[in-house]
Amino acid sequence: MAKIVDARGLTCPQPVILTGKALKETDTVTVIVDDETPRDNVSRIATRKGYNVKVDEKDGEFYIHIQKAGVEPVGEAIASPAPSPESNLVVLISSDTIGRGSEELGGILMRAFMHTFTEVEPMPQSMIFINSGVKLVIEDSIVLEDLQALAGGGIQILVCGTCLDYFKLKDKVAVGEISNAYTILETLLQAGKVVRL
Amino acid sequence: MNKPTYGVVLFHSTQAAIKAEKILKEAEIKIKLIPVPRHLSSDCGICLRFEVDDVLAVKSTLASKNVQTARIHQL
Repeated sequence: MAKIVDARGLTCPQPVILTGKALKETDTVTVIVDDETPRDNVSRIATRKGYNVKVDEKDGEFYIHIQKAGVEPVGEAIASPAPSPESNLVVLISSDTIGRGSEELGGILMRAFMHTFTEVEPMPQSMIFINSGVKLVIEDSIVLEDLQALAGGGIQILVCGTCLDYFKLKDKVAVGEISNAYTILETLLQAGKVVRL
Repeated sequence: MNKPTYGVVLFHSTQAAIKAEKILKEAEIKIKLIPVPRHLSSDCGICLRFEVDDVLAVKSTLASKNVQTARIHQL
């Protein structure tokens, strides 16, 4: 039976995080939300992960039925919009701030951008964190919740191990996988497009 | 289940938003700095999101420290 995730009243990125958790436990999940933004975000992320997604609206609430592709539909037929795999878009984050001129402003821009990543298209395939960018993926990172939502949505998060070691943060990583120069360079070289923040 | 609904407080300047964030954090009010939602303004800007139950605390805390706010919206 479908697992029910009641995300009514919650705003981004909570519904996405809860959906990601539920999909780790089971293949068929119904998410209930009461706004269009979480409806779109949850649907998009599930579709991108290769699930079949169907949305019913009832009294201003949205029931998002998510089912692993290939699993026999339970009850009614499940529409399957073709997932649109993003052509290997990679985001490179080489600092914990965005831009130059003001550290304070740069930190604020980073927080605003990380929040917004969960709400815009297209989603990148991978995000790479190097140099002081690794400070964003640790336990007390101010953008941890957003990054967890992105990871839950299927974005690969690669974190530079050398950089973690340099900042003595290796045992504080809270999201993503610790990576190395080979994997990071290969990911960059094979990318269709690299966006550097 | 805990279901917070949110409001956002908008400011006339980025500096005011930064100052307000510090003050509200010191007052231990749960906030998150986010971009101004698209439907509220097309201008680039940041605002602070808070839980609707805290709206009075947000207003009074900012007023007591003379931080000017532009608008408050429920999301």
